[in-house]
Amino acid sequence: MTEHGQDFPHASSPQDRAAIIRIEAVNKWYGDFHVLKGIDLTVGAGERLVICGPSGSGKSTLIRCINRLESHEEGLIEVDGIELTDDNKRIAEIRSEVGMVFQQFNLFPHLTVLENCTLGPVRARGMAKTDATALAMELLEKVRIPEQAQKYPSQLSGGQQQRVAIARSLCMRPKIMLFDEPTSALDPEMINEVLDVMTELAESGMTMLCVTHEMGFARRVADTMVFMDHGEIVEMAKPETFFSNPKSDRCKDFLQKILHH
Amino acid sequence: MSDSTTSIGGDPEGNGGKPPTSRPAPVWWKSTWFDIVQFVVLGGLLIWLTGRGMAAMDYRWQWYRLPRAFYRVIDGELIWGPLIDGLLVTLEIAAWGMVLTLVIGLVTAVLRLSDSIAGRILAKVYLESIRNTPLLVQVSIFYFVLQPILGINNPLWTGILCLAFFEGSFASEIIRAGINSVSRGQWEAAATVGLNRIQSYRYVILPQAVPLMLPPLTGILVNLIKHSAILSFVAVFELTTEARNLIADTFLSFEVWFVVGGMYLVLTVSLSSLVALLERRIRARG
Amino acid sequence: MLRTKKLRLGILDAIVLAFAVGAVAYVAYRVDSVLVYKWDWSAIPGYLFRWDEDLGTWVPNLLIKGLVTTIRISIWALIIASIMGTILGVMRTSQRLLPRLIGWAYVEFIRNIPPVPFLFLFYFFISSQIIPLLNIGAALDNASPTVLAIVELLFGPARLVENFLSGLISLSMMSAAYIAEIVRAGILAVPRGQYEAGYSVGLSKFTIMRYIVLPQAIQRVVPPIAGQFITLIKDSSLVALISIQELSFLAMEIAISEQRFFEVWLFTGLMYFTVCYACAWSFGRLEKRMGRHLR
Repeated sequence: MTEHGQDFPHASSPQDRAAIIRIEAVNKWYGDFHVLKGIDLTVGAGERLVICGPSGSGKSTLIRCINRLESHEEGLIEVDGIELTDDNKRIAEIRSEVGMVFQQFNLFPHLTVLENCTLGPVRARGMAKTDATALAMELLEKVRIPEQAQKYPSQLSGGQQQRVAIARSLCMRPKIMLFDEPTSALDPEMINEVLDVMTELAESGMTMLCVTHEMGFARRVADTMVFMDHGEIVEMAKPETFFSNPKSDRCKDFLQKILHH
Repeated sequence: MSDSTTSIGGDPEGNGGKPPTSRPAPVWWKSTWFDIVQFVVLGGLLIWLTGRGMAAMDYRWQWYRLPRAFYRVIDGELIWGPLIDGLLVTLEIAAWGMVLTLVIGLVTAVLRLSDSIAGRILAKVYLESIRNTPLLVQVSIFYFVLQPILGINNPLWTGILCLAFFEGSFASEIIRAGINSVSRGQWEAAATVGLNRIQSYRYVILPQAVPLMLPPLTGILVNLIKHSAILSFVAVFELTTEARNLIADTFLSFEVWFVVGGMYLVLTVSLSSLVALLERRIRARG
Repeated sequence: MLRTKKLRLGILDAIVLAFAVGAVAYVAYRVDSVLVYKWDWSAIPGYLFRWDEDLGTWVPNLLIKGLVTTIRISIWALIIASIMGTILGVMRTSQRLLPRLIGWAYVEFIRNIPPVPFLFLFYFFISSQIIPLLNIGAALDNASPTVLAIVELLFGPARLVENFLSGLISLSMMSAAYIAEIVRAGILAVPRGQYEAGYSVGLSKFTIMRYIVLPQAIQRVVPPIAGQFITLIKDSSLVALISIQELSFLAMEIAISEQRFFEVWLFTGLMYFTVCYACAWSFGRLEKRMGRHLR
């Protein structure tokens, strides 16, 4: 049985958002290349943050640092009160609270859709198979593809695969969801089905960090917009101000290019 | 040296692999059937020439003496001849050799993929030594140097060990390549759904890597059979040694070599066909 | 794979080091205490070079002579095998079925037959039938000193030329199969678009092959063929089984006559290792240099 009787986990109201992610003075280098420069960022519980910027700006690297797919060299990252260090136990704890959706989906090709979703709960959490299956079916319904449960990923379209990926992450009941350019590898006609699911997820109060180029989605859904360039956070504002009146020139240039193609 | 079996291949229609549109049948001297006929004729010609050459030689062919090399019936009991004994030893070498090869290959691959500096250095030293010395020299070192040092008094097992270390180097590369061929994203996804390293290996990585490894690993079995012949250099009584002894006794060089060559070919070709079959099935599963 | 950047010394390092130290200690113990083996490497340098009283200089002795034979046979085999292999490789990518079948049959045959029986069979067949036919022995007996000198330089001692040729042809035939595969891969790696561009400009198949496809294929083919040379150096040791006086054969003779198996075989292994590793390293450097200006 599910924990709540509801679809996606509920949020607190915007006012009393405790900080669930704290990033302070984070620096990272790839050899000589300074990929993250002094990043300071706080994300409140239930907040929806969209990060945009030109390629190579470090936005993917930043969110991948949050669940330790990349490691930051300097500074502090704290997730739900747990500090992110080399300690494997802490990393595992943090990863169990953070779900991730990848640009390349990364579904397990040798498992069915259902097995993709139940693998985590059964093996990592020790959940009983029947409970996990029920949970997975529930979430597959939320992403609107319950009928594909017995199919293999290669038999699904890109949009369907990405929705399975979202369901798979949600089966671990995360508090935070990270999206790394989730629609960039999709054919245009499938982007909306994924964005719709993400919008529903946002509306139910999940804390979300999205790296994306989909500005329409961002305008509708984001609480905060972040613009990154060359490893730094250049601009951070609410969508209304961000889109209508960007302060920095770099941000202005970027928005012009991306909104007019 | 353990490549996958080849197919005949080519691009017969010359249209880059697009589905064939209906076209008029080619003239008969360009047709596929004529090519096959030519090939068969060529093969026949080769055999006929060899036959002529053999007949013209100053050699008394004594094929009738061969069955004794396979079996004899003494007092109603079936006794296997030297060639069968040799064949059994060869198969024994291949079987045990394969087991040890897999073990050595797996350990080496894990060491190479691990975080341990010492492990990776050890694996590298092992691989480079095997790769840069001839098999003959390795067999000699195992037989003349390691055997007395380690106190093993069994040429057969020394030979098996040597072959296992030799083929193990190839096996470790196959295993390592198989594991590496699973994309990084699979590791990341497994981590994000909460699996630890061992669980990731077991439920996500290995199920994808092992089917890819099976055809080349079967190729290693073929190589073991082929390379087992070199153990005749150190008096292991496998098929080639028995053949040479038989020739020394009976002077039937050609008969024996043809037959023994045929025996090896039967073994290796059947295994190679198995490899090809496996590859096709795995590619079909996608 | 997800691993932290810092390379720490972990449990596995400890296990590996313990194992390595233990193995070395055990071997040392067995050699000294159980076998009571007295290492004596002094004989070896003498087999590399010896002082010739008559000529008053250092002359190469058996080990160096063996190495020279090994390299000689490897170079020859590479040349012959490359020619054969290129022809076979082109045949395997032909539009016509017949050349493809012939090429395929040859490669599969060589791939499936064990090298040692093949070597023996070929040697006895060739040496007892073909070479007497060519009458090389008599030809060499009657040759002038200059011709003899050239033959010795290229093929080694005159009385062993027949053995040398047998071993050479067997090795070449085996190597040719592998080179055929390398050439085939190189040709297939040239994208279809190159052919199409050639056809659309009106070039014939032959012209396309000669000026467009093969030059590109050759680029891809040179590194693996260089690797094949190293393989030949190792495989040439097999011809010791038919008494060709290359390095492994002579090593065995020295080991038996001096009764020093440990030192001789370990040293021979070291000689092969040095040659192969040096070749591999220099080919790697060359490849990187070539790659730089090809980009």
